[in-house]
Amino acid sequence: MGKCIHSALAFAILVAFVVQSSAQTIGYADALDMLAAACGADVQKYCKNVNLGNNRINNCLEQHQSNISFECKKTRADVFTLLQKRANAQASVRGICDADIRSLCPGVVQEDGYLLECGLKAWRSLGDKCRQAITDAGWH
Amino acid sequence: MNHHRIFLVIAVTAFALPQALAQNQLNSGEIVDSLQALETAPGNVTAAVLRQQALNRIKNHQGDDPRNREPLSDQLNRLPQLTVEINFNFDSAIIRPESYRTLGLIADALHHPYLLGYKFLVVGHTDASGKREYNLNLSQKRADAIREALVTTFRIEPRRVEAVGLGEEQLRDSANPNSPENRRVQLITIGKL
Repeated sequence: MGKCIHSALAFAILVAFVVQSSAQTIGYADALDMLAAACGADVQKYCKNVNLGNNRINNCLEQHQSNISFECKKTRADVFTLLQKRANAQASVRGICDADIRSLCPGVVQEDGYLLECGLKAWRSLGDKCRQAITDAGWH
Repeated sequence: MNHHRIFLVIAVTAFALPQALAQNQLNSGEIVDSLQALETAPGNVTAAVLRQQALNRIKNHQGDDPRNREPLSDQLNRLPQLTVEINFNFDSAIIRPESYRTLGLIADALHHPYLLGYKFLVVGHTDASGKREYNLNLSQKRADAIREALVTTFRIEPRRVEAVGLGEEQLRDSANPNSPENRRVQLITIGKL
């Protein structure tokens, strides 16, 4: 019924994200929107009373691989990649931005949270690699 | 029946003014803003302490009128926090899909560096209809379900999030104890790691 609309919407959201910003990653809220659009019908059908925690819905869809729509399969794979990229980017910011942060934030308490906060606030003075990492981390 | 209102509470003063935002207007930046700037961690605001306080109060004040009931913890109102509506299946801790985005936004906010070194408490609340102990238990299961999603599916470090259900012990609108205003979830910054 709404399958064509769902897949068009999922595709549109995906394109909007990849094109609109120089971020090549996605956050959880937007990931869930994409999955809702592409997999909503399949979740209703096969995973109705499954809770969100412990990756149960994802595992349930995995178990029903051969039944779920192509759009859902494709979107799950795409979203997984984008989320993984974001997690990797977040983990890498501290290292990639290390030189920038050392020079721009000399007096700051030497803990990641404080250092990153100082780094984010010094956006205008950061180098390109550091900026890209922060953008991919979803922090700008 | 399905309420899609999200209440954003910025508790920087004692007189926090709740602003109602449509669900799709809430963004993770606003969540980060609401949860930041914890000055002094009170130390005794934990899931375990609050749970015991709730149990004690229920035991010692059985049959009291919810309209005369004081909030269980004044301290909770003074901490940086966010109030949201999370929908669950009836009589269940299964989170409904329309609330997934809200949890995703919370997860994105908790992954932000400004909140990196902090611990948070998920507090579940019910209205006052039905049995008091039942409400306490149901709200605990629901708070647990939210915490579980955050620390597993959304990959937040488990030591950063606690969960407690306060049932009908901290009514938002005690004058109208059965009002849906009381059915809500709070996310509160309770300390540093």
